[in-house]
Amino acid sequence: MNPTSLPPALHFTPPAAANRVEPGRPVIGVRGLDFFYGPAQVLFGIELQVREREILALIGPSGCGKSTFLRCLNRMNDTIPGAHARGLVEIDGHNIYAPHTNVIGLRRKVGMIFQRSNPFPFSIAENVAYGLKINGLAKNRSERMARIESSLRAAGLWDEVKDRLNKPALSLSGGQQQRLCIARALAIEPEILLMDEPASALDPITTTRIEELALELKTRYTIVIVTHNLQQAARISDRTSFFLMGRVVETDSTQRMFTNPSRKETEDYITGRFG
Amino acid sequence: MKFRHLIAVLASVVALALLAIVVFLAVYSWPAIRMNGAGFLRRNTWNLGNLYSDPILRHGREVMPGASYGILFLIAGTLLSTLIAVILAIPVGVGAAIFLAEAVPAGMRSWISFFVEMLAAIPSVVFGLWGYVVVIPFLGHHLYPWMAHHLKFIPFFAGHSGSGYGLLTAGLVLCLMIVPLITATLRDALVTQLATQRDASLALGASRFETLWSVLLPGARRVLIGSSILATGRALGETMAVLMISGNALNYLPRNIYSPISTMASFIVSQLDSALQDPTGIAVRSLAEVALVLCVISVVVNGAARLLIYYHGRWSARMA
Repeated sequence: MNPTSLPPALHFTPPAAANRVEPGRPVIGVRGLDFFYGPAQVLFGIELQVREREILALIGPSGCGKSTFLRCLNRMNDTIPGAHARGLVEIDGHNIYAPHTNVIGLRRKVGMIFQRSNPFPFSIAENVAYGLKINGLAKNRSERMARIESSLRAAGLWDEVKDRLNKPALSLSGGQQQRLCIARALAIEPEILLMDEPASALDPITTTRIEELALELKTRYTIVIVTHNLQQAARISDRTSFFLMGRVVETDSTQRMFTNPSRKETEDYITGRFG
Repeated sequence: MKFRHLIAVLASVVALALLAIVVFLAVYSWPAIRMNGAGFLRRNTWNLGNLYSDPILRHGREVMPGASYGILFLIAGTLLSTLIAVILAIPVGVGAAIFLAEAVPAGMRSWISFFVEMLAAIPSVVFGLWGYVVVIPFLGHHLYPWMAHHLKFIPFFAGHSGSGYGLLTAGLVLCLMIVPLITATLRDALVTQLATQRDASLALGASRFETLWSVLLPGARRVLIGSSILATGRALGETMAVLMISGNALNYLPRNIYSPISTMASFIVSQLDSALQDPTGIAVRSLAEVALVLCVISVVVNGAARLLIYYHGRWSARMA
C-alpha cells in the first residue's frame, strides 16, 4: 500500500524532519517476560524490542498470548485479578513493572485501540475530549477544540463528522467508531499505539481504511499491532513477531518472515498448515 | 396458521388481559364511582355506614345510612411509603452495585450477588413477619424515640414517635425489598455491558474512580432509571408486608414519618371482609374503585418515568 494514495482527509502532516527519522532507536525493550493468570503461566521468557516509528505486527494462532503480551505493555492486565508479570519491560529506558511506576502516566504515553470499537456513550467531540479532560491537557475551550480537530483529522474522520460533533458517537458506523477510538487515543498525544486486532470486526473496505491510517500514523507513532490477518501483517508492518504457545518463535523483518522464515513453525503457520 | 400468527395471538392475549382487568375494574366499580364522585379522592373517610339499619337511596342507589367513601389517606400512605422506599433504595442499590462490580474479586462477586438476588426472591410475607417481630420493636423502642429527639430539626422528624408501626417502617422494609432489583440490573450493566468502555477509559490514563464517575455511571443512567421504575411499581403494589407493619391507619393522614399509614393495596386486603358485610354491595365496589385508582397511579408513574427517559435521552443528545 502506497502512502501517497492516501485520501486528502489525512492532512495531519508531521514536521518534515520527523519523516526522515530512520526507525531504529528501541523504545520498548522486553527481556525475560513471564506472565501468569493466577497459577497458569501464559507467557514464557518473552524477548522483544520495538523500534521507534515502526509497525511491529504480532501474529500467531488464537490463545498464543499475543494479546496478553500487548496488554502487558500498558499494564492493562493489572485490572485482571490474580494476573502478574515477572521480567523486564522497559519503555524509554524505564521498567514499567518497577514498584511505584506511575501507571496512569504510562497509559498516557502508551495508547491502546481495542478489537471492538468502544466509544463512550457521549457525543463525538466529548469522546475525543475525554482524555484531555482527565489528564488536564487543554487549558481552555479553543485549545480543546483545536486538539479535537487535529485528532479527528489524524484519524481521518474530521471531514465525515465536522458538522455533527455533538451527535452521539454511537450513531457512527462501525468503521467510523473505530477511527473515533483512534482519534480519542491520539488526543492525549501518546508515543506508542497498541492495536489489538483493530480491524477484525470491520468489513474489507473499512479495514483498508484502518490500515492506511496505521501507515500514516507510523510517521509519528510507534505501533504494535496484533492481527489474525496475515495479509494485514504483510501489508502494513515493518517487522513481525510470531508467537506460539506463549513464546516468541521468531521476530524478523516482515518481508523476510513472509518469504524466508528461519523457523519451521513459522513457515507452517504462514503457509496455513495450522492456526 | 403460521408461527408469526401464533406469536401475534399469544402477544395479544397478554395485552388483552391487561385491558380486561382494567375494563372489569371500571365496569364493576362504576356504581361506586357515580356515588362517590370526585370526593372519593379528596375525602378522608372510609365508613361503611350503619350496617344494622335499612338501606337508604342516594343518587338512585341503595346505600347504608352514614356510608362515606374517601381515600385521601390511602393515596398519601401509598405514595409517601413508596417515595421513602425509592429515595432510600437508589443510593443503597447503586452503592451495592458499584461495590459488587468494582471492589469485590470476581470469584466472590457471584456469591455475594447470589445473596443479594435471593433477597428479591424472599416472599413478601416473610419480610412482613420479620418486620413485625424484629424490626418494629427495635425501631419503636430505640431508633424512633432517638430520632424524634435528636433529629427534630428536620421537618416531619419531630413529634410522637409511635410504636414502630408506620410510614418510615413501611418505607424501610419496602426499600429492602426493592434494593435487589436495582442492584442486580445495575451490576450486570457495570460488569458486562460497560466492560469495554471501562477498558477504554483506563487505557486513556483515567483512574478507576474517574472511570466509574465519568464513564460507567453516565452509561448506566438509563439502566438505573429503568430499574427504579420497576422498583417503584413493586413498592406501589406491595401488599402483605406493608399490611403487617404499616399500622393500618384508618381515615388518618400521617403527621410525621412515624405515623401509622395504610396503602391502597394492603387496605383492599384488610377491608375486604368487612366490605362483604355491606348488603348493598357498594362497599366492595368502592374497594374495586381503590384498585382502579392504584392501577391508574401505577400506569401514570410508569408513563411519566418513560417520558423522562425519552426526553432525558433527547436532552442529553442535544446537550452533549
